[in-house]
Amino acid sequence: MLKFDVVVVGAGGAGMMAALSASEKNNLKVAVLSKIFPTRSHTGAAQGGINAAMGYRDSTDSPEKHFRDTVKGSDFLADQDAVEFFTSGMPDMISELDYYGVPFSRDEKGQVAQRPFGGASSPRTCYSADKTGHVILHALYEQCLKNHVQFLNEWFLLSLVVEDGKFEGLVAMDIRDGKIHPIQAKSVVIASGGFGRIYWSRTTNAINMTGDGTAACFEAGIPLKDPEFIQFHPTGLAQTGVLLSEACRGEGGYLINKDGERFMARYAPEKMELGPRDLVSRSIETEIKEGRGFGEGMTSYVLMDLRHLGEKKIMERLPQVRELALEFEGVDLIKEPVPIRPSCHYTMGGIHVSDYKTCSTPIEGIHAAGECCSVSIHGANRLGGNSVADVVFFGKYAGLGAKESAMRRSFGRTEKLEQEANAWKTKFKTIREKTTGVSMFSIRNRLAETMWNYVGIFRTESEMAQALATVDELIEEYKDAYAGDASVKYNMAFINYVEIGNILKLARAVAMGALNRRESRGSHSRGDYPTRNDEQFLKHTLIYKDGENYRLEYAPVTITNYQPEERKY
Amino acid sequence: MEMMTVKIKRFDGRNSYYQKYEVPYEKGKTILWLLTTIREEQDPTLNFTSACRHAICGSCAVQINGNAFLACNTPLDDVLETYKTMNLTFEPLKNFEVIKDLVIVWEPKMEKMTKVKPWIIPGEEGSKEIGFLQSEEDFQQIAAPTDCILCGVCASECNQLAVNQDGYLEPFILNKAYRYIVDTRDGAPEQHLKPVLENDLWKCLHCMQCVSQCPKTIPLTDQIAFLRSATMAMGELDNQGAKHAYAFHDDVKNKGRLNETMLPIKTDGLVQTALTKIPFALRMVKKGKINPLHMPKQISGIQEVRKLYEYAEEVKS
Ligand SMILES: Cc1cc2nc3c(=O)[nH]c(=O)nc-3n(C[C@H](O)[C@H](O)[C@H](O)COP(=O)(O)OP(=O)(O)OC[C@H]3O[C@@H](n4cnc5c(N)ncnc54)[C@H](O)[C@@H]3O)c2cc1C
Ligand code: SF4
Ligand code: SF4
Ligand code: FES
Repeated sequence: MLKFDVVVVGAGGAGMMAALSASEKNNLKVAVLSKIFPTRSHTGAAQGGINAAMGYRDSTDSPEKHFRDTVKGSDFLADQDAVEFFTSGMPDMISELDYYGVPFSRDEKGQVAQRPFGGASSPRTCYSADKTGHVILHALYEQCLKNHVQFLNEWFLLSLVVEDGKFEGLVAMDIRDGKIHPIQAKSVVIASGGFGRIYWSRTTNAINMTGDGTAACFEAGIPLKDPEFIQFHPTGLAQTGVLLSEACRGEGGYLINKDGERFMARYAPEKMELGPRDLVSRSIETEIKEGRGFGEGMTSYVLMDLRHLGEKKIMERLPQVRELALEFEGVDLIKEPVPIRPSCHYTMGGIHVSDYKTCSTPIEGIHAAGECCSVSIHGANRLGGNSVADVVFFGKYAGLGAKESAMRRSFGRTEKLEQEANAWKTKFKTIREKTTGVSMFSIRNRLAETMWNYVGIFRTESEMAQALATVDELIEEYKDAYAGDASVKYNMAFINYVEIGNILKLARAVAMGALNRRESRGSHSRGDYPTRNDEQFLKHTLIYKDGENYRLEYAPVTITNYQPEERKY
Repeated sequence: MEMMTVKIKRFDGRNSYYQKYEVPYEKGKTILWLLTTIREEQDPTLNFTSACRHAICGSCAVQINGNAFLACNTPLDDVLETYKTMNLTFEPLKNFEVIKDLVIVWEPKMEKMTKVKPWIIPGEEGSKEIGFLQSEEDFQQIAAPTDCILCGVCASECNQLAVNQDGYLEPFILNKAYRYIVDTRDGAPEQHLKPVLENDLWKCLHCMQCVSQCPKTIPLTDQIAFLRSATMAMGELDNQGAKHAYAFHDDVKNKGRLNETMLPIKTDGLVQTALTKIPFALRMVKKGKINPLHMPKQISGIQEVRKLYEYAEEVKS
């Protein structure tokens, strides 16, 4: 049986940081498992930047201000001790990344350049043109190569094995040869990214962002924290949902309605286009709803105008953005405004991390970092540039936490691991041999439509109840899902089948959390409860899975420095 | 309804064969849309890789009618129009090991890349605690090469690699070496440069296929020229390759003696470029860098070779 001290699931920013820190200066056997080749991970898609109060561009900036902005941005649902830990550690993190070779854009003094970003009271977003995540991902991969980190590429996590509340190992498939392996480990870091694909085509997320690690933890008994908080990015391309970076607004882009108005004046008179994402997303949807958008129904949009920035600035600062608009929308934004509308962008909720310093979960030996989990530093709404920061920062601490766990723990038993692997082998065989059934892609598409229409940007009780019922039906149908590939080697149809199972599980939790949160907070916006209700809902949702049943609980929010106040921009 | 005939090279680990699919044409779609539609509506056993679907993860490169493209950002209409056909043939990237259908393996390439130490060897001025200082201009030096998404298009197109897999380095590996050689934060550029020289740097044919197809328009051949002069600056002027390469370049430019100088090459790089630079043109036209009406149509003599060079220079700038 394969045996490692530490297994990291995921090779994005969080996973590779975790692997680097877990394997630094010791003899632990560490392996990184990733369903796609590491540099394909979605961290690479982050364009705009990474937040850290370096104070280079604005000397009055400080980790304290970053702390306050993050808490305010979270609509006071973030745990303040964790946020403070995070914001005070970020400046060092940037220097570390610089030392790893990340090619940051520079200011005139040669320091890492910083730009303004939505929801930030100072320009503190460090960046590399508009490919920040990409260069960080590649630099981390290079560091992993340098440090001989062992990768198991195109290996797929199927499930985690837990006995008596303790982690014993995991089951994974080597996609290339189709073999299913039990893997014994003392600790694991789950860093499998977000689950934006519950909205399938209406998301900025890569097609593989199906929350497999989050679903595996959920299945293993770890609750999901705050799954109802889904961020919609205001500036997805109208036709495809492909993201145009927040930097467009950061650099001064205008949002324009049908009447040619900069409509943000109505919603955030001071910050205008630089208001936080949830606010901007809702503002766009309101414009559309009230008939001031272009187009109709699902194809409605507003315009983002960058022409006033001029060709030079656009080519220098937003070259990738320009290319995206050109390739996917056929629009040259030097010459024309580009049609945009919101797209599901980020999942604030996820695996319940119970100790932010080690990123451990309620199950001994299981740690988590990155978008798959909720520490929670983003609360009800993540600020732009705070996620890549979260990913590298907590990736590091999760790696250190897993290292400690591994040094403290010994290997568990193997019986249950063998059993679990055998169960998956049987399942694989059954699905391969199945020749009829409900198309899995149809299930996936109907799930997405339901979630977009009824658990999307605006939410109401009756619609969500309906969504929940539909999701339940789809979960029933899934039992007879048909994948359509009988081969053993590289059977992506089977992988997609498992992924669809995962998004169904997670979508149900999203709908349930949303239905029960009878208030509006951050990204969770309810038509029937339009205001925040701190008295009843200043608390984290925790959803447990007991067999087929979901159980809802709540947990308190840690408040240290900032008492909740109305969020105005 | 207008139909497209799509032939895809399948491979199941043992046998390979071409499979035909008929797909209804739709306007304004991408190549990735085409592959996804076939997979989801006709054949779930068809395998290819993709993730981000916006040209940043590098996973979706394939060969279409003989040239390498990124599937997600290549408009279907452009391809149909340039090749003037409704018949498309898909194959996996060349010069890579294939696992299944259009899926290739990357690990051997990364293993090979470690030859050039593809990581920063930090200079003494920096530290983990305070990072580095680097001027804006110096950052600009590494801005383009760090655009590389490791998609493999350049390697698939490379004419030298096609005949010299073991000896030559993939253009993206040369790019990676270049990236650290010119990075002012790196304390030991020679450690990246030496292995480049030792791995047939001088055998690049300057056929321009890599640059012409790179979806990130990374100036790979300029970099190769830079690497060559850097190795000469390092005192390697005497090496056989240096002399040979210069002779080659001048010959072709002055006399158009293509066939003689390029005998050892399987496919004649330059002619190949001229005949199949369609996709190249495609992207340049789209970005408004060249006028499609001014393209040389075929190579028939020295004038054309010169034109090709001028054209290449023009596009590089
Ligand atoms: C278009 C876009 C732009 C963005 N821009 C910004 C920005 O400017 N600033 C910012 O701060 N944030 C941004 N974000 C958010 C940020 O990029 C992500 O939240 C973050 O990168 C997630 O990193 P991660 O390491 O958690 O996961 P990922 O990078 O998504 O990596 C997940 C890893 O898990 C692996 N994995 C998943 N499932 C399995 C499985 N079953 N088995 C094995 N391996 C598995 C995958 O292979 C992958 O390696 C952006 C997001 C998007 C979509
Ligand atoms: S120019 Fe050189 S590196 Fe580029 S494809 Fe031709 S031979 Fe290969
Ligand atoms: S250099 Fe260009 S073509 Fe080659 S791998 Fe990088 S991005 Fe792809
Ligand atoms: S899907 Fe990521 S580059 Fe094409």
